[in-house]
Amino acid sequence: MADSYNPRVIDHLVRPRNVGEIDGATGMGESGDAACGDVARFSVLVRDNVLEDVRYKAYGCAASIAAGSALSELARGRSILDAARVSKIDLEGALGGSLPPGKEHALTLVLDALHKAFEDHWNRRAGAMLVEGYGGDGGVGGGNKSVVAAMSGGVDSAVTALLLKEAGYEVATVTFRLHGGVQGSRSCCSPDTVLFARDTAHRMGLPHFTLDLEDLFEGRVMQDFVGSYAAGRTPNPCVACNAHVKFHAAAFLADALGYGHVATGHYARVIREPEGQVTMARPADTKKDQTYVLWPVPKELLARTVFPLGEHEKAEVRAIAEGRGLAVAYTPESQDICFIPDGDYRRFVRGKVAAEGGEIVDQRGRALGRHAGVVDFTVGQRRGIGVSAPTPLYVTEVRPEAKQVVVGRKRDLEVSEVRVGSLNWFLDPERSETVQVRYNGAPVPCEVEEAGDGEWVAHLEEPVAGVAPGQSAVFYAGEKVVGGGVIVRRGAGRDGA
Amino acid sequence: MQESRVYLDHAATTPLDGRVLEAMLPHLRGGAFGAGNPSSLHAPGVAAREALEEARGFVARLVGATPEEILFTSGGTESDNLAVLGLAAASPEKKHVVVTAVEHPAVRNAAAHLRSVGYEVTTVGVDADGLVSPDRFAEALRPDTALAAVMWANNEVGAVQPVEEVARACEERGVPLHVDAVQAAGRLPMDVSRVPASTLAISSHKLYGPQGVGALYVRAGVHLEPVVFGGGQEGGLRSGTENVAGAVGFGEAARLAAGELEERTRRERGLLERIVAGATALPGVRLNGHPEKRLPNNAHLRVEGVEAEGLVLFLDALGYAVGSGSACASHSAGHKASPVLLAMGQNEREAFSAIRVTVGKSNTPEEVDGFLEAFCTAVTKLRELSPLYGKPASPVAISGQQ
Repeated sequence: MADSYNPRVIDHLVRPRNVGEIDGATGMGESGDAACGDVARFSVLVRDNVLEDVRYKAYGCAASIAAGSALSELARGRSILDAARVSKIDLEGALGGSLPPGKEHALTLVLDALHKAFEDHWNRRAGAMLVEGYGGDGGVGGGNKSVVAAMSGGVDSAVTALLLKEAGYEVATVTFRLHGGVQGSRSCCSPDTVLFARDTAHRMGLPHFTLDLEDLFEGRVMQDFVGSYAAGRTPNPCVACNAHVKFHAAAFLADALGYGHVATGHYARVIREPEGQVTMARPADTKKDQTYVLWPVPKELLARTVFPLGEHEKAEVRAIAEGRGLAVAYTPESQDICFIPDGDYRRFVRGKVAAEGGEIVDQRGRALGRHAGVVDFTVGQRRGIGVSAPTPLYVTEVRPEAKQVVVGRKRDLEVSEVRVGSLNWFLDPERSETVQVRYNGAPVPCEVEEAGDGEWVAHLEEPVAGVAPGQSAVFYAGEKVVGGGVIVRRGAGRDGA
Repeated sequence: MQESRVYLDHAATTPLDGRVLEAMLPHLRGGAFGAGNPSSLHAPGVAAREALEEARGFVARLVGATPEEILFTSGGTESDNLAVLGLAAASPEKKHVVVTAVEHPAVRNAAAHLRSVGYEVTTVGVDADGLVSPDRFAEALRPDTALAAVMWANNEVGAVQPVEEVARACEERGVPLHVDAVQAAGRLPMDVSRVPASTLAISSHKLYGPQGVGALYVRAGVHLEPVVFGGGQEGGLRSGTENVAGAVGFGEAARLAAGELEERTRRERGLLERIVAGATALPGVRLNGHPEKRLPNNAHLRVEGVEAEGLVLFLDALGYAVGSGSACASHSAGHKASPVLLAMGQNEREAFSAIRVTVGKSNTPEEVDGFLEAFCTAVTKLRELSPLYGKPASPVAISGQQ
């Protein structure tokens, strides 16, 4: 009788438990919509991380109504961690074993609604903290062996959570909603990446949460991204996210749960100097090295951060996922800029700022042609300049106030000095031996010098091309990160101009 | 779950009448009487043939036909298929077909098959009450129309179509008309001498006969190509040894229906009025389909804020069996909203919130009152559960998102 409901489903349909909405709920969540056919809504009352009350409403097939009822029973009275661990399989079990074909959707729907209520609970609790920035309470609560692991839905973060669990940590996973999602993939429930991350966490027996960071991400990452291009700089949104969003949000949740640590699937190592300072070092898999984008993580957050993948090669990580039967083993590498899925960042930026045309000039300021907006240009760019010349031309500078794009030969790109601001030093700056000015770029020997206004100048041992304002400069002592900052200005060129 | 059960889904199938069963039993038991093949020359064969022909006469009488115009099939679906495909094949030079938007899948999908092999199919829409306009139907007819099809009464909402006018329009233009009378036969007076259809499909199990047997009326002089090939039974149009016991049961059911039609209709209409009045007294409950031009036993109820599947299962748990047009709205489950309700201009959500209550000759006023009480309980409970009822239609803002 695969096509009919079992008596447990009918029982929940006719005598649904915990129906209604809670007055004074600490979180509300809804999933599905009328056009989709099913809607589930949960309200939760959480005190001291215990679900004192859970109420639900549902419209749709009998499966959705019954699944909501069964889930409310499973969740009510439990700790929020245990409730966030309840999987589709647990829920199907509570409904008597199996639903008719095509009705499994109901399980996803009601779980998503409950998880959105949890998300709402955390977001309300965080309030402005997650918009204005969160420093954390230092991770004093909870034992050492508890960690909030960020889960993106990819293989790296999944294996991160798994390795932590196997290392004896108490692990809670969290997926961040950072932006409106990918166009064209309209779903009744949360975006597929969130559902996939939740499934992955549940398969490992781990609780899963979501946090809505769209406002924070918009304010701290996307606006900066657009503003930087408009100002003639070349932004790095991953750096901005690590500086203000990801680690802060994970720390908030860790503190709310009384957990000591936060973890991400970055390839980097956290190390402690004998004198006690905390910093990062390049990972075992140097090809995946992400220290270049991690420099802005505040010291007090880095001190409680764990990067389990720092000790592993990427190939090993995939093998671990495969060996443990995780479906994420086969997910593709994530794209460069998560909020621009098609990679066309110029179109994205042009959609947000008005572009004004201006002149293309050479190194001496002579006009060579016209352009349709400085936002279309970044330092080091060769293609699409639209001016013909006997030797290839490169953008060497963007001057937004003058609406000018300066072009020159390749050697005009080279600089022997870089001025850096917004610095985050983990170690004594004087220990800097090399500086890296591009992701995956080679470290260049340098000497650093304080330049006033909190800025520093790196004197390069030999000239480097493609130094773009807005990009990061990260200083290393051997494998260790000394500190990092944002390139304010390309310094003197090779001719000392 | 529930010991006593009240059956209110007579449009799906009707319980076998005890008198019909008695008439069939000798033919199922075999022995001196039955189990003969009506094509055989020996005595058991002759007995089977006589029983079959007597049954044919009863079925013919129900619709005002002669016995020669009735052929037995396995049921309504086969009758519809034979008519649509058989009429199309009978005039191979014509490649156009007209159907209404509310046909049973047996006609709709047969027409879709014709489309897939090169026919053009014109679908004539219906109004909000589910009714076809004879004029609009007539406008769709063309010189190259091989056949047209209209149902006498709709299986979902119970709307009774103006078959007589439609049939006249077809007759004037020389277009053969097939009428699906599966829901109407035995519930409405029927006389093919007044409705000039070429073919007409009826089914045994909708009028208290056994399942697995039906009939197709083929007007004398109308040519039809067979779709099943074999020993040439049923005038060559439906090869295969006849289901004698089934046909006998069908015949007896048809005989009883013809004799009791007025009495049944009177009783059913009384029960129906009680249901419609009681159910629509609840806020947000409406009757689908034309209020008067409908089958005397069909109450198709749209219940705002509730999805049909849960309501049907809830009522089932309380001991009342009713029908749902479209089981579950969940797209992932692959269910589609009823094309009939969509054709009537309803949106998907409306189409997914209707149940079909169809009474039969054995239902009592007490059962109807019990049903109304259960209906009220189930609807109230499910509405308490529904986040979409009693609130503005737009979804609430969640977790601070836009």
